[in-house]
Amino acid sequence: MSAEPSAITTPLSNKHFDVDRAFVMISLTIPVIGLLLFFVYPLAIVFLRSITEADGGLGLGNYAHVLASKGFWRATGHSLHMGLATTAISIGLGFVIAHALHRCAFRGKVLIRAAIALPLLAPSLVQGLGLIFLLGRNGLVNKWFDLGLDIYGFWGLLIANIFYALPQAVMIIGATLTLSDARTYEAAEVMGARPIRQFLDITLPNAKFGVLSAAFVVFTVTITDFGNAAVIGGDYSVLATEIYSQVIGQMNFNMGAVVGIMLLLPTVASYYIERLAQKRQFGSHAENAVPFVPTFTPARDLPMAAASFLIAALIAIVIVVVVYASFVKLWPYNFGMTVKHYDITLAGGYAPLWTTIYISLAAAIGGTVMLFLLGLGIRKAPDAIAKAVYFFSVMPAAVPGMVIGLAYVLTFNSTATPLYLLYGTATLLAVCNFYHYHTQGFLTAMTGFRQVPSALEEAASCLGSSMTRIAIDVVAPYVTPMLISIFFFLFMRSMVTLSAVIFLTTPKMTVASVTIMRLDDAGLTSQAAAYSTCIMLIVGAALMMMKYVFYRMDKRSTLGTVV
Amino acid sequence: MYLNVQNLTKTYGNFYALDNVSIGVESHEFVCLLGPSGCGKTTLLRIIAGLTQSNGGEVRLLGENLVNLPARQRGFGIVFQSYSLFPNMTVAENIGYGLKIRGVLKADIQARITSLLGTIKLPDVAERYPWQLSGGQQQRVALARAIAVDPRLLLLDEPLSALDAKVRGELRTEIRDLQRSLGIPTLMVTHDQEEALTLADRIICMNHGRVEQSGTPEDLYLRPTTRFVADFMGVSNLIETRYVRECLPALLENRPAGEDDAYIACIRPEQITIIADENGKATVRAISFLGNLNRFEVTYPAGRLIVETHGHINVSEGQRVRFEIRPEDCSWVVSGAV
Repeated sequence: MSAEPSAITTPLSNKHFDVDRAFVMISLTIPVIGLLLFFVYPLAIVFLRSITEADGGLGLGNYAHVLASKGFWRATGHSLHMGLATTAISIGLGFVIAHALHRCAFRGKVLIRAAIALPLLAPSLVQGLGLIFLLGRNGLVNKWFDLGLDIYGFWGLLIANIFYALPQAVMIIGATLTLSDARTYEAAEVMGARPIRQFLDITLPNAKFGVLSAAFVVFTVTITDFGNAAVIGGDYSVLATEIYSQVIGQMNFNMGAVVGIMLLLPTVASYYIERLAQKRQFGSHAENAVPFVPTFTPARDLPMAAASFLIAALIAIVIVVVVYASFVKLWPYNFGMTVKHYDITLAGGYAPLWTTIYISLAAAIGGTVMLFLLGLGIRKAPDAIAKAVYFFSVMPAAVPGMVIGLAYVLTFNSTATPLYLLYGTATLLAVCNFYHYHTQGFLTAMTGFRQVPSALEEAASCLGSSMTRIAIDVVAPYVTPMLISIFFFLFMRSMVTLSAVIFLTTPKMTVASVTIMRLDDAGLTSQAAAYSTCIMLIVGAALMMMKYVFYRMDKRSTLGTVV
Repeated sequence: MYLNVQNLTKTYGNFYALDNVSIGVESHEFVCLLGPSGCGKTTLLRIIAGLTQSNGGEVRLLGENLVNLPARQRGFGIVFQSYSLFPNMTVAENIGYGLKIRGVLKADIQARITSLLGTIKLPDVAERYPWQLSGGQQQRVALARAIAVDPRLLLLDEPLSALDAKVRGELRTEIRDLQRSLGIPTLMVTHDQEEALTLADRIICMNHGRVEQSGTPEDLYLRPTTRFVADFMGVSNLIETRYVRECLPALLENRPAGEDDAYIACIRPEQITIIADENGKATVRAISFLGNLNRFEVTYPAGRLIVETHGHINVSEGQRVRFEIRPEDCSWVVSGAV
């Protein structure tokens, strides 16, 4: 061996330089074009349509019209009222459960965790269905006690929304509670602070931003949700149902666009405040914190455990009753078991279910590839470009599904551009789902990319790797766990989402969650329950598969620090 | 010069990370870039590697300008402080990675891996993953990975800093032996002067983005030219010109011409002899026993001295002494006060 260049040390040929630049260009350009075409452009169309008047001219006539209508103000008032009530209760209950899970010592936490994972498995209208089986006109409670309860309207919707949003509040608040450092509590203890003082002086102030963040998420989820409002809202109209009735009921697209823009204002504001809160939260986290390990304290733990089990049981019962009802002969008169409700012929039978699986797979695979490319590209892009791309990439989470769906129908159901060809195809539904959930996937991907040590890429570069090779040999192994999460996240959300796709389904091309709504509309509540059960089975299986994949990866993990 | 770096400048905003730096490495030489953190040594190494762009200047290898050549085409080997082994690859795959990229035949790669594992004295770890190795073992593998491709230049970025003292000592010797036997021109960044003194053929001492002094370890230790180098390369006693003229005139012999403030005399602690003397101008303030040597803290009218002796000498704390310095043991350094 010598220092002189030998055969294998000859520098690799110069063409790689251009290949690298092309690689960055492509990996950045394709996802960016996607974002512009399938997110920014349709939103611009919504805005444009909202200021297009009946005679074709531009103006604020639609706004004036909407603002002058009683229906709009009623729906807005209802949405805000509902949003605030749901938020207040969900945050209160959510804090109790999160605190019980992370700061109290008792057995059976896994049951609580399982119960709060349930709502993620089903479309948001399942809470509504469950409540109808329990408290509706033909519900168990009315049958047993004959109270003449009417669950449709404010109270039914409030309960449904709380049960749907509560798990998300628990997760966000729980995340902030796990961050704090046990040593601060030890210090307080040594200084003589009683447990209640420690809670008031340390726990609460530290959870402040997490609670704020959770509040904004719950508020947004509630005012933008369509499923439960459609199933159990009754005459209690909210903005989401108002858009639906303007567009689908009265074919009044421009008015729908105006209501959409109105719905966008509070969600965008709430989204950005939430992100600010999140940044503050993570800014206060110490790098080498010692995790807090609770010891059993009866006075604190027994009431907390009881409250948590009660709430978790209610969340679970509302969903389990749907599964149970799907097997009952004639709710609530004949509780004999049957599978006849699974013989669904109306509303396309099981075809929409298969379509939904196909769409969800397409959204998951395509979305994962796109986000991998975007992650690669954004790292190598000049700062200014990276910032701009980042800005657009995190925007979709601020846009309610109803508005995205409306934007798509306005954009793709218009013969003005060749994009019309996509209308009514499964492809467009998959694309819509991907961009609807783009932000969450993107942020997960960025977390993965941030874990790749730059020294590793540099080492590979010095050994002669091109960027393509670095992407495959160095980056991919690090981000694989995140890509798997993104894949399953996109799949599971696509399986259950309703709000965006409701506008895009046609008689020939429809999805499972819409079918449930149609079955329920037709009074076939038991069949709707059966259909919901099928979706929950598939999504539950996907969740199990994801856990299994991570379990296997953990066992033979070569990436000691990852996952 | 094999590697020739000319007038390199790198700025971050108004901050000069490198200010017109010129250095060179001969074809079989082991050169250490030594300096405190933030002195620009790592930036210099990264620019030579092609991992960072400079704002101006040249990097030439055998006359070829490397400025526009991306890192992967330079054919260099690099070892980082953080080991930076690919966590998803086995030890063998890590070492063979550079060869695989170059399209070397599988059998040849295998042979090279086996031979290198022998060289780094880890013949049995080929199928293990990095996380199954200790820090020292990982760094050996990283070294093998870097030299597997017969690099034109070996770059070591603080390769020993993350290791504990004992492993560091062993690996230091191994790196030195390996470099000598392979004759690979090597540039190592370190902030540890002892490491630089034992490893390097030549040390380039840097401060504030500039080269302070370049020379053999003996040069830098015994004949520092700037006050910074004198301080950084171990303990130094600095004596003002005015006092030297008054009390130690013999030392003025090799003083460069210049105002009193321009240069200052620098004497290493072991080059001062102290002798008990009731009429001496100095006083012993403290004595520390350091095993193989004794350290004396001595005050004299113009300040304080550190003196080290091997073995015991007959003085005690509080005693009056005089001190002697041979003219050839005194080097005059730019005081930096000007």
